[in-house]
Amino acid sequence: MIRRKLRPGVIGGAVILYLALIGMVEAFEDRFIISNVIGLGTTLVLVTLIGTGYLASKPAEEHHDPPALAGLVTGAFAGLFIAVCVVILEAMLSAGIQVRNVFVSVTPGLLNVLEFGAGKILGPILLVIVGAALGAAAGALRTLAVEWRGAIVYGLSMVLGISLAEPLLVGVIDGLSIPSDWLYDAARGGLTVTGTIITLVAAGVGRWFWLRKRDTVVQFRAHMPDDRRRKYSRVAAGVIIGVLVALPWIVGTFISDVLGTVGLYVLLGLGLNIVVGYAGLLDLGYVAFFAVGAYATGVLTSTASFLVTSNRDQFAAHGFLNFWVALPVVVVIAVIIGAAIGAPVLRLRGDYLAIVTLGFGEIIRTLVLSDWLAPYLGGAQGLLRVPPAPPNSWNLRDPRNLYYLIMAFGLIGALVAYRLKDSRVGRAWAAMREDEDVAEAMGVSVVRYKLLAFAIGAGVGSLGGVFFAAKIGSIFPNSFSLLVSINVLSVIILGGIGSIPGVVIGAFVLVGLPEFLREFGEFRLLIYGAILVGIMILRPEGLIPNKRRLRELHVADQEAQMGELVTEEPA
Amino acid sequence: MSHLLELGGISKRFGGVQAVDDVDFHADLGEIVGVIGPNGAGKTTLFNIVTGFYRPDSGSIHFDGHNLVGFKPNQVARVGIARTFQAVRLFANMTVIENAMVGQHTRTKSGVFGAILNSRRTTAEERRIVDSAINALAFFGDSLTPRLNQLASELAYADRRRLEIARAMATEPKLLLLDEPAAGMNPAEKDGLIELISRLRDEKGYAIVLIEHDMPVIKGVCDRVAALDYGSKIAEGTYDEVAANRQVIEAYLGKAASEAQS
Repeated sequence: MIRRKLRPGVIGGAVILYLALIGMVEAFEDRFIISNVIGLGTTLVLVTLIGTGYLASKPAEEHHDPPALAGLVTGAFAGLFIAVCVVILEAMLSAGIQVRNVFVSVTPGLLNVLEFGAGKILGPILLVIVGAALGAAAGALRTLAVEWRGAIVYGLSMVLGISLAEPLLVGVIDGLSIPSDWLYDAARGGLTVTGTIITLVAAGVGRWFWLRKRDTVVQFRAHMPDDRRRKYSRVAAGVIIGVLVALPWIVGTFISDVLGTVGLYVLLGLGLNIVVGYAGLLDLGYVAFFAVGAYATGVLTSTASFLVTSNRDQFAAHGFLNFWVALPVVVVIAVIIGAAIGAPVLRLRGDYLAIVTLGFGEIIRTLVLSDWLAPYLGGAQGLLRVPPAPPNSWNLRDPRNLYYLIMAFGLIGALVAYRLKDSRVGRAWAAMREDEDVAEAMGVSVVRYKLLAFAIGAGVGSLGGVFFAAKIGSIFPNSFSLLVSINVLSVIILGGIGSIPGVVIGAFVLVGLPEFLREFGEFRLLIYGAILVGIMILRPEGLIPNKRRLRELHVADQEAQMGELVTEEPA
Repeated sequence: MSHLLELGGISKRFGGVQAVDDVDFHADLGEIVGVIGPNGAGKTTLFNIVTGFYRPDSGSIHFDGHNLVGFKPNQVARVGIARTFQAVRLFANMTVIENAMVGQHTRTKSGVFGAILNSRRTTAEERRIVDSAINALAFFGDSLTPRLNQLASELAYADRRRLEIARAMATEPKLLLLDEPAAGMNPAEKDGLIELISRLRDEKGYAIVLIEHDMPVIKGVCDRVAALDYGSKIAEGTYDEVAANRQVIEAYLGKAASEAQS
């Protein structure tokens, strides 16, 4: 067994070494996870050791190593690996060898973190012991009952999560004018010891009860009478809307601005979700409808639009149309263009469709830059002076007002998507996605429903363009690159294809996360990438997968009917 | 005189292959017609022509007062022809009841706006769709009804075959085309199938045309049998007549065998 666990141990140690050498361990050590107790750098080392021990203690079919022992050995190897590296680096530093010419991050400070501040001799020994202990603990987790394991893992994760979310949460808690000093140490940063214990216990106990009572809750829900259930979901919807309304006042203008951008992607995601998730048409040129929405809004409302002024340097007093009048016009234009783009690709399936739509996305951008349309759409100089959306006319571009507008339309978009999903139209789309020929044989006009999916997807997505124009105020062709299409597609894949809450969560993670990771400076995109890869490995079906959910509203009376039918039929 | 389905002189060529050659065929309500023939005889091609997947090179298709030549598959479904496929083709990631509900597509008409506004008409129609889907599924006793909310892909093989027929029934057809319904079934299941197909005719009054290789099934249910070989109809009549037909025996067993028998 000792030889078997050498490899995972060394891999775990190498991960820590990597994190140390690229500078993350030392750079993050200043950031306290628990104030004055443990920094993020050390936490990174410890979490990696735990993870190594946990993964390596997975029971294999051919060997029956006791998990705790397997974890202990692996952890000890990982610790040993780092300890050896630390000793070598210490030796090199004291011999005056210029390690930093190659590894800029190898400083006495870094070694001090890796030694847990215990010095050159005790430190490496401590590393092995800590590695072995954490590995053993992680392995022992596997032998615990599932509730206890869940409680411990969840509790520790929440401590880490809440501590990392400090910059965000402090703002929120202060916004609610609740004291936050019991939870966070304002002076040094990080959780207070009391806060840590409360978080750990609350999260652990909560998780424990949830794991234990989950079945009861599910049963309770399943057997709830329809009207009660409807009442509850109405209350839940009310609470969610209430939170959404209150949110910008709690989190402040900067985060409201981020939320606005997230909202744009929610709108785009909802639209693309209809095309890709419902109808199964892989559209890689979705940015086209975003661009159509933005440019149509620009042309119709800008005071520099060719519709209201013939001279580029003279601005009219008003745009051609008022924002609210322009909005439905834009959606109608997008629907028409969506159907027009859909028409030539109706006969294509799968990969071919994806490639052609990819082309459409680029064509729109190229058209804007072309000599033919540049005089009307501004070409590379952009289309300027798009007025902000109405409530902002008297309040300039307050992100909070825009947030409300986007949120309102996001809710409408979600409602549209939700209602369509389980309708006759949604079923026709699903059938088409599953098997085009059979859908056709069952009477679904594939031509008609493909066009419909493109048109509705375009209409919903164009709203994203409308608010983008109103948010930014000037529109340039380079805002509509392929990257937008890819991002929107990533939003729905990350959230779970075909799932409406998935779109919202996906947009939050994909668009919101980089903003909240700013704290990590140069490591931001590295962490962001690692998180996305991790999510897709752990949940390939998306964060909130689209369960082919039970037809909740009908299931009860169906069962009743079924009972009658079955008894009627002696068979 | 005029039949529910009447094919006159249907021909279809793929490159150098004459897949269907001047075939006349008819079927009436309350009748079960078998189509037999060796592999590649053009049986499934004939189905595909009737259901609009292929357009015949020549010939006429009349069904219930419609001239079907040039109809798209979805229009064919609309006038009342439903089919199953040789390899079971269900909507695998949809539930059992959703599969059957898709069958109701042509018989209903609520659209995007009805769905978005959740109008009263739409909800009433949705209820009707559920009812007819459940009705179609209930035809199969308790093999499908207890599994309404299971995914189609989770069903056992025989149940998948049943669901495919139920889905076709949900389109409220006059004519049901079954493409090798007994394929892959064990003897007991085949007996069940024979009974089922007879019940489909007796209780629902459909015209049923089935392609089948399994002679006991053909013998057990068919009022009339047509045999195809190399795209041409070589015999038609009762099972016994067709089974005794020299050309049919030749097509199946080769010339020597038919001479040996006579």
